[in-house]
Amino acid sequence: MADYKGVDFYRFSRNLSDEERSVRDTVRQFVENRFMPQVRQHFKAGTFPTELIGELGSLGLLGSSIKGPGCPGLSGTMYGIICEELERGDSGLRSFASVQGSLVMWPIANYGTEEQKERWLPDLAAGKKVGCFGLTEANHGSDPGGMETRAARDGDDWIINGSKLWITNANLADVAMVWARTEKGVSGFLVERGMEGFSTNPIHGKYSLRASDTGELVFDDVRVPDSNRLPDAIGLKAPLNCLNQARYGIAWGVVGAAADCYDTALRYAGEREQFGKPIASFQLVQQKLVHMLTEITKAQGLCLQMGRLKDDGINPTPIVSLAKRNNVAMALDCARTARDILGAAGITDEFSPGRHMVNLESVITYEGTHDVHTLIVGADITGIPAFR
Amino acid sequence: MKIAVCVKQVPDSETRINLAAPAAELDQSGFTRVLNPYDAYAVEEAIKIKEAGAEIEVTAITIGPDTVKETLKKDCLAVGCDKAVIINDPALDGADESALATVLTAALGRDSYDLILFGIKAIDDDSGQIGIMVAEKMGLPHVSTITHLEMAEGSLTAHREIEGGKEVVTASLPAVLTCQKGLNEPRLPSLPNIMKAGMKPMETLTCADLGIEVPASLVEIKLYSPPPSRAECKLVEAEEPAAAAKELARLLHEEAKVI
Ligand SMILES: Cc1cc2nc3c(=O)[nH]c(=O)nc-3n(C[C@H](O)[C@H](O)[C@H](O)COP(=O)(O)OP(=O)(O)OC[C@H]3O[C@@H](n4cnc5c(N)ncnc54)[C@H](O)[C@@H]3O)c2cc1C
Repeated sequence: MADYKGVDFYRFSRNLSDEERSVRDTVRQFVENRFMPQVRQHFKAGTFPTELIGELGSLGLLGSSIKGPGCPGLSGTMYGIICEELERGDSGLRSFASVQGSLVMWPIANYGTEEQKERWLPDLAAGKKVGCFGLTEANHGSDPGGMETRAARDGDDWIINGSKLWITNANLADVAMVWARTEKGVSGFLVERGMEGFSTNPIHGKYSLRASDTGELVFDDVRVPDSNRLPDAIGLKAPLNCLNQARYGIAWGVVGAAADCYDTALRYAGEREQFGKPIASFQLVQQKLVHMLTEITKAQGLCLQMGRLKDDGINPTPIVSLAKRNNVAMALDCARTARDILGAAGITDEFSPGRHMVNLESVITYEGTHDVHTLIVGADITGIPAFR
Repeated sequence: MKIAVCVKQVPDSETRINLAAPAAELDQSGFTRVLNPYDAYAVEEAIKIKEAGAEIEVTAITIGPDTVKETLKKDCLAVGCDKAVIINDPALDGADESALATVLTAALGRDSYDLILFGIKAIDDDSGQIGIMVAEKMGLPHVSTITHLEMAEGSLTAHREIEGGKEVVTASLPAVLTCQKGLNEPRLPSLPNIMKAGMKPMETLTCADLGIEVPASLVEIKLYSPPPSRAECKLVEAEEPAAAAKELARLLHEEAKVI
């Protein structure tokens, strides 16, 4: 199959700078050359291609828009473009970058001490160290405020007890950004691999996001020095602000997955013949392709405007929630439609839509489910929270 | 040491050319433009030499319109070239290889380069002449189609592809080389380097700035025409292979008149 060229029906690339287009083309080429040849293998085996972590770092794809020691310091729009190209490859690849950048490096850069920044940011940006983010627990997903993991003060240290579930990069991580309840509310701690009482376990049997590591973090009287606590992360707002950064990237990322599905379906429909002509010549198939293209184009418009706003310092939760909610559902719909256009061929791993489709079932749930984002936007426009 | 890499921006290899009927000009509005892939080998080789040595400066030189800047920044400056020179002169629109080689010779003559690298050819017009023409005009030794290069003090050893084998050639510096696939694996620019590329010097010149008249072209392109549509295929059908062969022989003899 010919190389992926992106979907840009409304010529949005004219609104990008030279540098933004160069970033897009570079990440696209990286994904094509280095990731695509092995994605099927990793998806099958349920593994993340760890040998690419260093390359992601040296290209500047980890924590790309974060300002801090050793960080690439690119714009928010560029971070979005990077996510879109990574997720065109696989949601697992984008998830790795989202977690490392928005959920581990971002809180360190925004809530950490100078020492913590110097110690962690350069290695995390370079891909020499891997991080994970532990907020969700077995009994507390959409409502993380109910978390049971606790940190109790003991002299200069903290003692952490509890566990976190559904954690991306759990088993690869050198450091976990862990959110725990203290007497004064929720606080964030950097828990390092090797600390006594800290262990991680893989989650088996996933049918979604298989080319990504997902696991459990277990804390059994883990002693963490106070110097590993992020002093400026106060209350549940802190992890929620991290999620806002990551969701921004997801809203962009899934457009890449949708575009890959559309691109695959369009090519397939042009080649596959039934009733003596290409299936692309049937009105019903054209309607599906046009619907996908329309929805992708609308989502691209949301992303670009959201990126420009972010680069002007405007990145409120409801704006990000609306885009995450719309774009993930849109991408899932495109993946299902593309899978359908591919007929039986669509259910094998020879084609990407089936893989995107099952991946997006995770993406529509994590970082705030579709319905939770409905409630966030609903609360914003009516002034009435309907969460409980 | 100074190295020059002469590069060209070309339409992406998957560009579809819309040409229903013969025309004097191609509609290039929908073209996506990229660095000529063979030039990427030349750039990479120059950067490798730079990284292996000390005080080596690499200059990328191109002839083209303003739109070449994006390619120069991303594929030359962001991967390690130190500066870029663009010769942008509307009078060179449609210039042939010999005229372009004259212009490049003048541009290269502004500095004293020890090594001048080209791709073996540009994938748009596939002519593969300019590197060698420049070497001839400058009176420098050249080695074409190289797949391996070793630098020494004042000289180089290059491997070049020949039919069924390879030739090992040594040359004194300064020299001109044209680079073939297999020479190296071009790197991707890092994103921070893409951002910094815009701060590297990029000079835009006309023929007048180079102190030359616009050189006359020896060749003029009159017309682009689409390839002829393929004649319809005739399938020889018969029950027995022997009968089919007999019928095929008859058609080749009587209709195609080739045997
Ligand atoms: C592959 C994967 C990777 C993940 N990675 C991480 C990670 O790195 N770090 C991390 O901390 N977490 C991670 N998560 C967890 C993820 O964020 C949670 O799954 C998510 O927040 C939803 O929580 P839950 O699964 O407990 O579902 P629940 O909260 O139990 O929701 C179940 C259903 O109930 C609905 N619902 C819940 N509350 C309401 C309400 N008030 N009104 C209406 N409907 C409601 C939801 O929309 C959903 O449909 C990951 C999850 C997956 C699948």
